[in-house]
Amino acid sequence: MAATPSTRGWRSIESLGQATRQLPEGVLEELDFLAVVLMSAGSMPRGEWPFLIQHVWQQIYFTAVRQAYLFTAVGAIIGVLTAFPLIVFRIEDPHLLGRIMHIMMYHQLNPILATLFVAGLSGAAITAELGELRANQAIEHLVAMGVNPHSFFVLPRLAGMAVSLPILVLWLNIGVTVGAATMLSLYQNVPPTVFFRMCLAELNLGSLALTGGMVVMQAIHVILVQTSRAFRVGAYVDIPRTLPSAFARSFIGCLIITLLFSLVRYG
Amino acid sequence: MVEAVVRARGWVLDRRPTPKPFDFQIMLGELWMLVGAVNSGRRELIYSLAGLTEPRAGRLELFGRDVARLGPRARAHLHRWIGVVLAQPGLVPAWSVFENLALLVRYHRLAPDGAVEDHVVKFVESCRLPRAILDRLVSDLSPLESQWIGLLRALVIRPRLLLVSAYLPQETLVAGYGVWTFFAEVVAPMRMAILVDAGPQALPIDAETRLLVMDAGTLLAAGRARELAQHPDAAVRSQVRFDHA
Repeated sequence: MAATPSTRGWRSIESLGQATRQLPEGVLEELDFLAVVLMSAGSMPRGEWPFLIQHVWQQIYFTAVRQAYLFTAVGAIIGVLTAFPLIVFRIEDPHLLGRIMHIMMYHQLNPILATLFVAGLSGAAITAELGELRANQAIEHLVAMGVNPHSFFVLPRLAGMAVSLPILVLWLNIGVTVGAATMLSLYQNVPPTVFFRMCLAELNLGSLALTGGMVVMQAIHVILVQTSRAFRVGAYVDIPRTLPSAFARSFIGCLIITLLFSLVRYG
Repeated sequence: MVEAVVRARGWVLDRRPTPKPFDFQIMLGELWMLVGAVNSGRRELIYSLAGLTEPRAGRLELFGRDVARLGPRARAHLHRWIGVVLAQPGLVPAWSVFENLALLVRYHRLAPDGAVEDHVVKFVESCRLPRAILDRLVSDLSPLESQWIGLLRALVIRPRLLLVSAYLPQETLVAGYGVWTFFAEVVAPMRMAILVDAGPQALPIDAETRLLVMDAGTLLAAGRARELAQHPDAAVRSQVRFDHA
């Protein structure tokens, strides 16, 4: 039987309501998972500490150290691209250029780009790795034999990423600044030293703390999404399905975090 | 005095329709085999004892301690005495065999830091496996080798309770040394309680083998195969087949 227009209307409202409910539900779910992970830290046996330290270092090495060159190179290219509109609009005032770099790049775009990279590279690797351990029952075995999966698998990645992402954003900022400075000195005759000084002049403790807090929150969000999704994997076939949805969810979440922080900063 | 390793009272597995509650206990040094038709609840029983699923109702004592009264830390501490082998080997593929075997020894501090390697090597050698296998990556192992390493990972911690819910490797890595000989020569002297849901032909069942007969998620009968073969319930008798020789 064909649905009447009023039935269709009610269904649309219901779907809309369900879609609206998803966001707060997702946030609550994530906070719940974070609470479980943090509580697991309190009940860690002594034997787990060496694993925690080792896995945190591994996470920092694979995310922040090995990707440093890539991030700096990508940052330089983005810096060049950022400089083009400034050159086209003939913006030559070093003070204004410094302000633009801060508001547009350091506060908003660079953290998002870094998170995008991290969610795609390390985040996907984490989901695939933990998803495989779920699918081959490794996690079930270890849980049954007394290993806490949250403190053993999630906590080191959370701590490692919370340290790594700010480092990567720093690399990206350096790359962007150098790239933009090179282009502006070539086309606008803005001396790089003056440009660097203007970029540094805008830095202050409050702004750094706000950006740092935002980046750490993004790192936590990425890890919580990727690991919680990996923990839901039931079989190997679920892994390729989980990867894109976990990536999209982490990225959307990071955009919302950036939006909220920007509202606090500028609103 | 022989210690009760597992004591379950009013145990109701989480499945539909709700099964009848049942009681059972396993003492240290005993080997019990779970028998029953497909979907009779054997797997669920192992999983619930391992803490991987919650029962619908019931009280469980492991090593004399009521599990429900323990906090997460104490419960995890208790589980260090449990070795588990599930359907898949459950090894970390990116790690070497040694790292997989050493993980729980280190985690539960079963040997001093400097002695972990020695502990693992001695154990592997006592199982008559070639030492060279320790350096290999798990991802390079054959399915048979992975099954054996999965079993060894559960045993290297010298558990007091071994729960097996898998088809045990029927072929051997060393000539003339099958899983039956392995259980008789290596596992039995370790003196632990063992509960095996390993399907038909997993371990030999003779007249003296202890059996837990399950059906529709509940325990129909428990006892030695010779006694259960005379059981008044035909459903129990149908599950008891042993080698009279």
